[in-house]
Amino acid sequence: MSTLEPIARKVRAGERLSFDDGVALFRHPDLLAVGQLANEVREHLHGDRTYFNRNMRIEVTNVCVASCLFCSFAKLEEGAPGSRTMKLEEAWRELEIRMADPPSEIHIVNGLHPGLPFSYYEELLRGFLRIKPDVHMKCFTAVEIHFFARHYGMTYEEVLRRLMAAGLGSLPGGGAEIFHPEVRTRISDDKATAEEYLDVHRVAHKLGLRTNATMLYGHIETFEHRVDHLLRLRSLQDETEGLQAFIPLAFHPDGNGMKNLPAPTAVDDLRTLAVSRLLLDNVPHIKAYWVSLTPKVAQVGLRFGADDIDGTIVHETIYSAAGSKSPSGLTYDELVRLIREAGRTPVERDTLYRVVRELPREAMPEAAFKVKDRKAGRHLEVL
Amino acid sequence: MSRLVDQAIADAGLADLAQARRDLDFARLEALATSLGTADLLAVGALADRIRAEEVGDRVRVFAGTPADEGRDVIVVAADDAGDRGQVLRRVACARILGPRAARVRVDWMSTGIELAQVALGFGASELAGPVLSRRGLPILSDSTKKVKGAGLVSSQLLKKKELSALVRMAGRVPVFAPEATSSTSAPSDGGGSLEHP
Repeated sequence: MSTLEPIARKVRAGERLSFDDGVALFRHPDLLAVGQLANEVREHLHGDRTYFNRNMRIEVTNVCVASCLFCSFAKLEEGAPGSRTMKLEEAWRELEIRMADPPSEIHIVNGLHPGLPFSYYEELLRGFLRIKPDVHMKCFTAVEIHFFARHYGMTYEEVLRRLMAAGLGSLPGGGAEIFHPEVRTRISDDKATAEEYLDVHRVAHKLGLRTNATMLYGHIETFEHRVDHLLRLRSLQDETEGLQAFIPLAFHPDGNGMKNLPAPTAVDDLRTLAVSRLLLDNVPHIKAYWVSLTPKVAQVGLRFGADDIDGTIVHETIYSAAGSKSPSGLTYDELVRLIREAGRTPVERDTLYRVVRELPREAMPEAAFKVKDRKAGRHLEVL
Repeated sequence: MSRLVDQAIADAGLADLAQARRDLDFARLEALATSLGTADLLAVGALADRIRAEEVGDRVRVFAGTPADEGRDVIVVAADDAGDRGQVLRRVACARILGPRAARVRVDWMSTGIELAQVALGFGASELAGPVLSRRGLPILSDSTKKVKGAGLVSSQLLKKKELSALVRMAGRVPVFAPEATSSTSAPSDGGGSLEHP
C-alpha cells in the first residue's frame, strides 16, 4: 500500500503536487485519509465557510451540431422530437416570473445551434438586463464561444467583446469534458479541442472576465487522464489567475451514447473532489455541484475539499435529461440547511465570490449517540 | 491505517475514546461519547473504520430486503429524511465506535440513498440492506418507485445485485450476498459476490 505521508508533507509545506502524486491520490485505498488531507487545505483556505448563490439556469436551445457521446442532446436538429429553442420573449419570461425572489445570477448554457443569428445571443443578454439591470450573466461555455467564433467568422476576442458589450459577466466552466486526446477524440471529437477550450479561457481572462472550469469524469477515462486534465487547468491558472472555481461533473449515463456505462459512485465523487482540491493549489474554489452529485453527496463533499455547493439553480435540463436523480431546484432555505447540517457556515455570494450575506453557523446538536438495546440486548439501534 | 489518520484522530480529540474502545471499556466509552457529536466527521469516520477493519474485516453482507432478526448484535442505521440526513454518516460511525465488539452495523439504503450507504462503508458499516432487482428487472420487494427508461426518472433505490456488488467493491470492500435475507432466495446470482453460509 502506498503511503500518503510524503504527499501530506508536501501539502503542509505548500509544495506543489506532481502528476504521480495525483495518480497516487486517486489510487490510494483510504478514502478518508485523502479526504482528511483535502479538508485540511479547504479549511486552511476557507475555514468553515461554504459558498452558495441565488441563480437560475436556462438552456435557450438544446439543438446542437455536436455529437458528444455523453450528452442526451447530441446531434439534435431543429424540429426533431424533443428539440426546443426559446423565443427571446420566452427566455426573458423565465426571469420575469422570478422577480418576486430574483436570482443574482443567470447561468446560460446551450446547444450549438447552427441556425440562429449571433444577434439572438446579444439581444438575449440585453433583454435580461432590461428586466434586472444588476443581474450577473454567466453565460456560454468556452465550447459555445469557440463555435460562435467559427460559425460567425470572428476571433474569440471579438465574440467575447460583443457579448460583454451586451452584458456578459463571466463564463461558466462546461465543455471541458476530459482534455486528453485519447478520451476527447472518442467522446466529443467535433467541438472545441482541449487547446481551444483553454485558449477561450485565456482570452476571456485577458479581457478581465472570470471563468470556471469543469471535468466530466466517471466514463471511459483513466485516473491518469483526470490528473492530466487537472494539471492543464493548473498551468492555465498559473498563467492567467482567471479561474474562480473548479467543478468536477459526474457522468450520468441515461439517454446518451454511453448508456451502457455505469455512473460513477459516491466514493469516486468524493475522491475526485478531494484530489481536485489537492492538485489545484492555485484555484480558489472547488464546487460540489449538487445537481450532478445529488444534494446528499454534495453535502458530504463539503468535508472532502469542496467549499461551494452552487446555487438554487431552478430549471436545469441537461443533467435531468441524463438521468440525474437530483431535484431541478433547491430553495434558499434548503441550501442553507444542507450546509449547516454539514457543520459548515453558509455564505451567500455573488458570482464573483463577493459576500452577500454570511449566515450564522447552527450549533451542532448535543451528542445523543448511544446504542440502545432493543429486544433484550440482542438487536440494537442508534439514538 | 496511516499515521496521517492516527494524527487526525488525535487532533480531533478522540485518542482517549480510541483507547477505551481498544480496552473494550464500555463505561468509559459511554462517558466520552459526547465528543463524537462535535468532533471532525472524517476523524470520527476514520476511527470507526479502523475498528471495523480490526473487528469484522472487509466483507460486507448485503441483504435483499429487510432481513429477519437474526438474534445477534445488529445495529441498524436508517435516515429520517426530514431531520437528520446530515448526520447519517456520523451515526453509522458512532454505532461502530460505541457498539458491541464485532457488531453488525447495517445501513438501510432505502432511507439513506445508495450513495450515502456506499460512503457509510468507510464509516464503520459492515452490512447493507434494501430492495434488489431480479435479473429480469422486476423488483424483488414491492417498491413504489418507478423506473422509466429514457424519461430520466430512474429509481435511486432499486439496484441489481451486480450493481450493488460493484458499489461495494468500489468502496474497497468485498460483497457477500446473504441468503438468509427476506425474499433473497428468489434473487438469481448475476455476477455479484459470493453467497455466505451462516
